[in-house]
Amino acid sequence: MKFIIEHLSKNFEKRQVLKDIDFTFESGKIYGLLGRNGAGKTTLFNCLNRDLKADGGDFCIEEDGKRRPVAAMDIGYVLSTPTVPEFLTGREFLKFFLDINEKNIQDPRSIDEYFEYMRIEPEDREKLLKDYSHGMKNKMQMLINIIARPNVLLLDEPMTSLDVVVAEEMKHLLRSLKQGRVTIFSTHIMDLALDLCDEIVLLNHGELEAIPKEDLDNDEFKERILAALREEDHE
Amino acid sequence: MNRTFRISFSLKNTYRVNSILYGIKQIPLIKRLLPETLYGVRGLKIFANILSGIWEIVMIFLGKFLYVAGMIYGLALLYDQVSMGRLFMHIFFFLTVIGAFTNTYMFNPSRDKYYAMILMRMDARAYTLVNYGYALLRVILGFLPFTLLFGRIAGAPWWFCWLAPFFVAGLKLTMAMIHLMIYEKNGKVPNENMLGKAGWGILCLLSAAAYGLPAIHILLWPELMAVGMFLSFFVGVCAIKKILSFRYYTEMYKEVLSKAMNQMDEIAKTAKTSSQKLISADTQIQSRKKGFEYLNELFIKRHQKILWRSSKRLAAGCGAVILGMLLAFYLQPGFRAETNRVLMTFLPYFVFIMYMMNRGTGFTRALFMNCDHSLLTYSFYKEPKMVLALFRIRLREIIKVNLLPAFVLGAGLALILYMSGGTDQPLNYGIVFISIICMSVFFSVHYLTIYYLLQPYNAATEMKSGTYQIVLSVTYLVCFFMMQLRMPIVIFGCICIGFSLLYCVVACILVYRLAPKTFRLRN
Repeated sequence: MKFIIEHLSKNFEKRQVLKDIDFTFESGKIYGLLGRNGAGKTTLFNCLNRDLKADGGDFCIEEDGKRRPVAAMDIGYVLSTPTVPEFLTGREFLKFFLDINEKNIQDPRSIDEYFEYMRIEPEDREKLLKDYSHGMKNKMQMLINIIARPNVLLLDEPMTSLDVVVAEEMKHLLRSLKQGRVTIFSTHIMDLALDLCDEIVLLNHGELEAIPKEDLDNDEFKERILAALREEDHE
Repeated sequence: MNRTFRISFSLKNTYRVNSILYGIKQIPLIKRLLPETLYGVRGLKIFANILSGIWEIVMIFLGKFLYVAGMIYGLALLYDQVSMGRLFMHIFFFLTVIGAFTNTYMFNPSRDKYYAMILMRMDARAYTLVNYGYALLRVILGFLPFTLLFGRIAGAPWWFCWLAPFFVAGLKLTMAMIHLMIYEKNGKVPNENMLGKAGWGILCLLSAAAYGLPAIHILLWPELMAVGMFLSFFVGVCAIKKILSFRYYTEMYKEVLSKAMNQMDEIAKTAKTSSQKLISADTQIQSRKKGFEYLNELFIKRHQKILWRSSKRLAAGCGAVILGMLLAFYLQPGFRAETNRVLMTFLPYFVFIMYMMNRGTGFTRALFMNCDHSLLTYSFYKEPKMVLALFRIRLREIIKVNLLPAFVLGAGLALILYMSGGTDQPLNYGIVFISIICMSVFFSVHYLTIYYLLQPYNAATEMKSGTYQIVLSVTYLVCFFMMQLRMPIVIFGCICIGFSLLYCVVACILVYRLAPKTFRLRN
């Protein structure tokens, strides 16, 4: 499976945020999306999740050599600030999600199995989500986004303000999930990107560019990434 | 001094100019014509600066005009058998005492002070003295024409009309001095926007003295007022020395402003948390339904406070008023004919009552804050068929919630019409009842429709749609205007029923066509 973006562009009035995004992502890999502040990472994700209408270009999924448009269920989008419906309990949110997506979920498991999988404690499962901690809300959001097994998983700085234990669990989870899907992970933390991601992609001046690691060691690779980000600044 | 004044004035002006430009940018249609670099466009800036300058001058006089004409002269006209001149003096005197501690300028923690003294680190003493002086000058200049004009029309003596503005300024200076001395002694600073219990008590007492005493023909002696006014002015002049020599402006303002700014940030935050507080923590609440019906049932049950409970209270309130009316008919038979006469043409008035009773805005707000705000970030929730399925369920629910009080009110009105002497046309009973029901349905549909079509909030729960706010204001204005309208039941009832039905059909068609695209988080 491949996730293909072709000539995607987005302007805010005269400012061109996404100029010409042209990139093919391959399943089974985690892509680390790096870019300066304001480079347009969130805009790119919002366009891919169809929260924002792109001005030009398209994106699609290619399976067995055949292309098809991206359906809503193909995309999972995890935001840096977790958003969960505060008036439901963890269990109720999960039940509601499973109810409406009955047809789309292959081999569904029981609600408690999902909770076990995310390491959400039994006493927390009946609490209202408004009383969940930041980390637990994040886990819930992640869980909802992976149950339906989306082909493309977008993560917008998901590790921000997670405690070390949850962050480690999350990393482990992402690695275990990467088979069979494209995972795009935006972050400002270079070490995290190098540790977790299989490929590094830069978003700069409205374009995506892969930075090959080749046979560089981590320090040299970091230098190359930084140089690429700085270089484009001087253009 | 001159430089401080120039800087602080231009700071306030920049803030105001940008607010004007921001305001213009919120107007639908016009906002598309304006560039994103709006704040840097010279022509627009000059235009906004001119507006801002006019505003500054207008505000010196307009506020004082409204105050003297409305609060003093206008209200004085309502009293009989009291000397107009003395009444004018009496009310002015007491209101000025209230103003001395509720409108001090010095202890008003405004944003421009925060920007200047905290963010820009301007010298607090220089800033305060210059701006306080300017504020007092505005008070004197603004008041003088109107105390002379209205004072003389009312028949107040010349000495009063001339002295009044200086009395206001003098009393403000005196109060400022007292507060500064209290601060020096025990470090307490007043915040004029946060009156304590004592402050509110005094305010009520003085208001009662201003407007209540004349009603029982008690007016303050002019001689006593003259003494009070001269004394205030004299003490005020002496207070200038204290205000000039006070050394702790920096410390004092840091305290006042940091407290106040925290509150402002809190207000932004509380929009979200106050919505969360509406969620019932009752663990017994459950649902046996499935899918969206499950989501909806839990939402309705956990928001009892603003939905069913408040609707039941309204219904009970309506019931009580209707029973009260019936009791009054029984006790005072003469009341019947009068009620009957009024009721025959008063139906438009109920548009405003139904507007006030409708739970629609609270419902859509809670829907967004506690439910859609989060769920709209999930792609499954935005699929067209899901959006419409949930719209149908919600429409049904909000109509149900609002129907209960409407039913009581509609039936009650028909009953009152009957008991007050009835009508020649039996059709009227039905029309009264059905038009009240239609109004209720109309408002329910209206609020949910504009919510689905304009979804005004962004991910940070900020209101981002000027159009949405304009639609809400227009709704209010139209309903308000309806209060002035008198029309026979048959005519207004039929127009109302027809309009409501038509509106509902059009609204639902629009939602089905457009909502899958418009029901999104704003950016």
